[in-house]
Amino acid sequence: MEEYPGYPEEMWDSLRMVEETRDERIGKTYPRMSEEERERILREWHPDYKEGAKRPLRIGPSKGMMVPHEVADILEAHPLITPDMIDLSEIDYDVDILIIGAGGAGLSAALIASEHIDKEGILLVQKLRLGDSNSKMSQGGIQAALGPDDSPVLHFLDIMGGGHFANNPELVEILVKEAPDVIKWHQSLGVLYDRNPDGSIKLSPGGGTCRRRMLSCKDYTGLEITRVLLDEFLNREIPYLEFTCAVELLTDESGQVVGSVLYDLDSDEYLIARAKSTILATGGYGRLHIQGFETTNHYGATGDGIVLAYHVGAELRDLDATQYHPTGAAWPEQIVGQLCTEKLRGRGAQPVNRLGELFVNPLEPRDVEAAAIIRECYGRELGVTTPTGMRGVWLDTPLIDIINGEGTIEREFAAMYRTFKRFDIDIRKEPILVFPTLHYQNGGVVINARCETTVPGLYAAGEVSGGVHGKNRLMGNSQLELYVFGRRAGRFAAERAKRVNVGKPTLKHVERYERWLREAGIETDRRAPILLPEYRGKKTLEHHIRLL
Amino acid sequence: MEKEGKMVTIYVMGKKHRVPAGLTIMKAMEYAGYQLRRGVGCRGGFCGACATLYRVKGSYKLQAALACQKVVEDGMYIVQIPFTPAEKKLYDIEKIRPTPNVFVEHFPEITRCLSCNTCTKACPQDLMVMDYVQAALRGDIEKVVELSFDCIACGLCAIRCPAEIVPYQVAQLARRLYSKYILGLSEEVEKRVAEVEEGKFDEELEQLKRLPPEELRKRYESREIRV
Amino acid sequence: MELPRWNCCGTVHALAKDDVMHHLAPVRVLLRVEEAVEAGLVDEPRVVTLCAMCYNTLKRANHLYRNDSDKRRVIESIMEKENRPYGGKAEVIHLLELLSELGWGKISERVERPLEELRVAPYYGCLLLRPRGFGVDDPEEPRIMENLLEALGAEVVDIPFKSRCCGAYHTVFMKEEAAELSYKILRQASEMGADLIALSCPLCMFNMADRQGLIGRLFRDFKGIPVLYFTQLMALAFGLEEEAHLEENNPDPRPLLRERGLWR
Repeated sequence: MEEYPGYPEEMWDSLRMVEETRDERIGKTYPRMSEEERERILREWHPDYKEGAKRPLRIGPSKGMMVPHEVADILEAHPLITPDMIDLSEIDYDVDILIIGAGGAGLSAALIASEHIDKEGILLVQKLRLGDSNSKMSQGGIQAALGPDDSPVLHFLDIMGGGHFANNPELVEILVKEAPDVIKWHQSLGVLYDRNPDGSIKLSPGGGTCRRRMLSCKDYTGLEITRVLLDEFLNREIPYLEFTCAVELLTDESGQVVGSVLYDLDSDEYLIARAKSTILATGGYGRLHIQGFETTNHYGATGDGIVLAYHVGAELRDLDATQYHPTGAAWPEQIVGQLCTEKLRGRGAQPVNRLGELFVNPLEPRDVEAAAIIRECYGRELGVTTPTGMRGVWLDTPLIDIINGEGTIEREFAAMYRTFKRFDIDIRKEPILVFPTLHYQNGGVVINARCETTVPGLYAAGEVSGGVHGKNRLMGNSQLELYVFGRRAGRFAAERAKRVNVGKPTLKHVERYERWLREAGIETDRRAPILLPEYRGKKTLEHHIRLL
Repeated sequence: MEKEGKMVTIYVMGKKHRVPAGLTIMKAMEYAGYQLRRGVGCRGGFCGACATLYRVKGSYKLQAALACQKVVEDGMYIVQIPFTPAEKKLYDIEKIRPTPNVFVEHFPEITRCLSCNTCTKACPQDLMVMDYVQAALRGDIEKVVELSFDCIACGLCAIRCPAEIVPYQVAQLARRLYSKYILGLSEEVEKRVAEVEEGKFDEELEQLKRLPPEELRKRYESREIRV
Repeated sequence: MELPRWNCCGTVHALAKDDVMHHLAPVRVLLRVEEAVEAGLVDEPRVVTLCAMCYNTLKRANHLYRNDSDKRRVIESIMEKENRPYGGKAEVIHLLELLSELGWGKISERVERPLEELRVAPYYGCLLLRPRGFGVDDPEEPRIMENLLEALGAEVVDIPFKSRCCGAYHTVFMKEEAAELSYKILRQASEMGADLIALSCPLCMFNMADRQGLIGRLFRDFKGIPVLYFTQLMALAFGLEEEAHLEENNPDPRPLLRERGLWR
C-alpha cells in the first residue's frame, strides 16, 4: 500500500484518489468562467466581499473608504510619537533624498537617484536587513510583453480587466510601456533570466494573461533580481542604515514632507533625517493577517507606509481590495501560508478536490481562483481537513513532470521542491495541499505618473502605492511595478531635490492627526505604525512588563 | 504537532525553554518570548536572514539551518548568526570581464580552499558550495552559476570555512558576469524597447485609455487568449 | 622561579604527525574517479594527470589512504557530505605513462611532421621522478620523455641537470634565488646545444620560461631559450599546429621552429 510519510494518515485515502485519477486528467482543463460567473463567485466566496469584514474610515483625506478592520485599526490609531518626545533641533542626517525601504522599489530608486545626484545626498533606511523584503520572495515571475504575438497593448488590457477596470490607466500605460526597458536594465546589471534552448527569453503563461508573458529566474525570480540590485547598490557605496525604521514623517511650515523621524531597532534611539524628497518604498501589509488569514509576506510587511502617508494627509485608494494568493501551503503545519507559486499552475499543476476532481481552470485571475478554492472547501465541502482544522485542496504537482518531462520540477521549481522536501513531501510524486493565503496589498497610497503622492515632497513606489493594479493584481505585475515605479521615483525625487528648499522640520501633522481622532470620537490605545508583528507566546505577553 | 501537546526542551543561547514539538526554531523562539528583530526575515526560506547554528544534546556535530525552516529537536542548543562579518568586495560591473582569472583576482583567498566540504555541509539550501568554489578556482564560470543559483546568501558557508573564504560573494560575481557578458542582452528585449521608443504602441494605448468603461470591458472580454 | 604563563611545549601535537587535512582534497578527487566508474562514464578507475604536482599529490594521498589505516579512518570521518568513503581503487597515472603504455611505435605512426633536426632537452624536475616509487620512471636514469621525443623524431639532448629543482614555490618569496636555479638549468641546456626544453609541470614552466626576463636581468650572459610542454611538441609533430597554442609561450618558440621548417 502506498505510504505518504509527509502527510498524516487520515489524508492518505484522498491522496490515493488524486493519484488514481491523475492519468485521466492529463490533457484535460476545466473551462474558464464567463465574466458573470466570475463576478458571482467573487461576491459569494471571495474574502473581500465577506460581510462585516470591513468598515469605513472615520478620519483623514480618504474618509469613508471601506477598508478591512485590521487596516482601519492601524489608521485609526495614535501615532507612535508625540511632538514633545522628540528634539527636532538637531538633525542627524541632512540629505537630498531619503528612501524608506530596501526591497525592489527602494533599491531601484536609490540606483537611479545615484545617476542624477551625488550619492552622498542619498540615504536609504531599512527596517530590517538590507534587501529583505517581499520583493525577494517573489517566485513565479515578472511580466513584460516580449513575445512576437504580444504587445504592451494586450498587457494593458489584461491588467485593466484583471483589476476590474478600477486601475489608474495612466499608471498602467507606463507600466506596460516601460516593462521591456526594465528587463533590459536588469540584463545589463547581470540578472539571469531563464532562457529557451535557442537563447531566447523563456515566457510562461500566468493567471489572467492572454499571452505567454511571464519571465522567470527558476522559482527564485525575486531573489535573483533583488540580489543583483543589492550587489550593485553596495558596489556604488550609496549610504544606508539597516535596522532603522521610519516611525513618523516630518513636515515643514508649508506642509511639505521633509524627511522622517527614524528609530534604531538596536539601540532604541531616535534619529532625525531631513530630506528634500522622501520616497516611501515600504511594501505592503500581509503581516496584519486580514480576516485571520495566514500570509506569504515578509516579517516586516506591517503596513507602515500607508500609516506614515496617512498621518501627513496623503490620499489612499483601493484598500478595500486585498489579494489572497490562491495557493498558499495548507500543510505541513510549519509552513502554512507560504507561497506556492502560480507558475506551478502555469506549468501544468491542476487544483483538484478531495476526490481528485477538477473544479476550476488553473489560470483564472487570482481573486477568482482563490474564491473557487474557498468555495470547494467551505461551500461544497470537498476540501481536505488537516489535523489543526485547516482546509485545503490538492495542487497536483506531479503533472508538471508528466507534461514537461522528468526533471522539470527540480530544475524550474528548486525552491518549492526544497521547501517541501524538508518535510518529507516529494512534490514530484505527491500533490501539495493548498488554501488561499494573504498575499498582496492591491491598493495603497495614491500616486501620479511621477510617483508623487498628494502631499508635496512625498513619493511612493511599489506595493505601498495604489492605482496600478486596481482591485486585483495579476501575477508578475508586482515585480514589474517595483522596478518601473522605483526607477521613476528615484528620478523624479532627484529632480525635485535639485530645485526645492526645505524648512524647519516639524511634527504639526501629528497634532492634526490627534485632533482628527479626537473629533471623530475615536478612543483607542492602539498605536501605529506597528513596525513588528506580535508572535510571542501567550504566557510571555500576559506577564510582559518593561523595566528598562 | 501542538495538538498532541508534546513538548521538547531547547536551549536558546544556553537558556532552557520548553516549547511545543513541531514548531520551527523561529516559531519556538517566539513561543518562548523572543520578539525577533534580527535573525528574522521572509520566514519562507528565501532571504537568508535567519541563519542558525545548533547542536543536539549528545552530538559533537555543529549543524547549520534556517530558523524558519528547521523544526526544533529535543535537546537542541541554538544560536542565531544574523550577520556574517565579510567585507563586500567592490567592483564596477561595466569594467570587469568574465576572464578565467577574474575570481582569483577578486577573491585570492579561494586558492586556500582545502576541499574540506564544510561549506557544503553548512549550506541550508543543500548546495554543493565547495564544488562551486573549486569551479571558480578553475575559472569555470558556468559551473559556478549552475551550482550557486539557489544561494540565499545566509552566510553560513562563510562562517564555517576554515580557509576564510566568502563563497556567496564569489557566486554573486559569477552570476552577474555570466548574465551580462556571456549570455548578453536578449534581442527580443532590445527590439521591443526600440518599438516602444518609436511610439509604435502609443496610438492604440491612447485609444484604449479613452474608451468608455463598457467598451473597454468588451475589448477585454473579446481578446484572443493564446497561451 | 616558574615561568609565568607557560604552556605545553607542543610535543603532543608533534607526535600526532597529523598531516591529514591536506589529503582531503586529493582523496576526494580519487573518490570521484570511483564514482565515475559507478556512473558508467568510464570502465576503469584510472585518472590521468598532466601536471607533475597533481600526479605527485594524488599518488601520495592514494598511497597513504591505502596503507595507513589510522589516517584512512580519520580522513573518512571528516570527509563531509560524501555518499560513501573512497574505496582505494583508483589508479593515478601521468600522461607520459599512458603514452608509454600505448607504445612508442604507435606514437611514431601518428607523426605527420617529424621534429627532425630539432635538438630538445627533456626536463623532468622533481615531482615526476621523486620520491622513488611515486615517479613516472627511474629517478636516477629516466628514459620516458627521451623515448617520447625520439618517437616524435626529435634529437634528444641529455642534460645532467634534467632532474634538478627549478626553484618551485620559492619563486613567490625568493624569486632571485629561484631564478638562479632555473638559470643554471637553462644555461646548461644552451651550452649543450639544445634548441629548446621540453617539460611537463606548469610551475617548472613558470620558473624556466616566464621568469626568463628576470633571469636575463640577473645574469647578463643569459640569452634565452624556448621552453615547451611535451604535449605542445606532440601537437606539432602530429600536424595539429592550432592545438599547440604556441602563441601562449614566452619566449616565443615560433621563429626558431619556422627556421627549422616546423612552423608555417
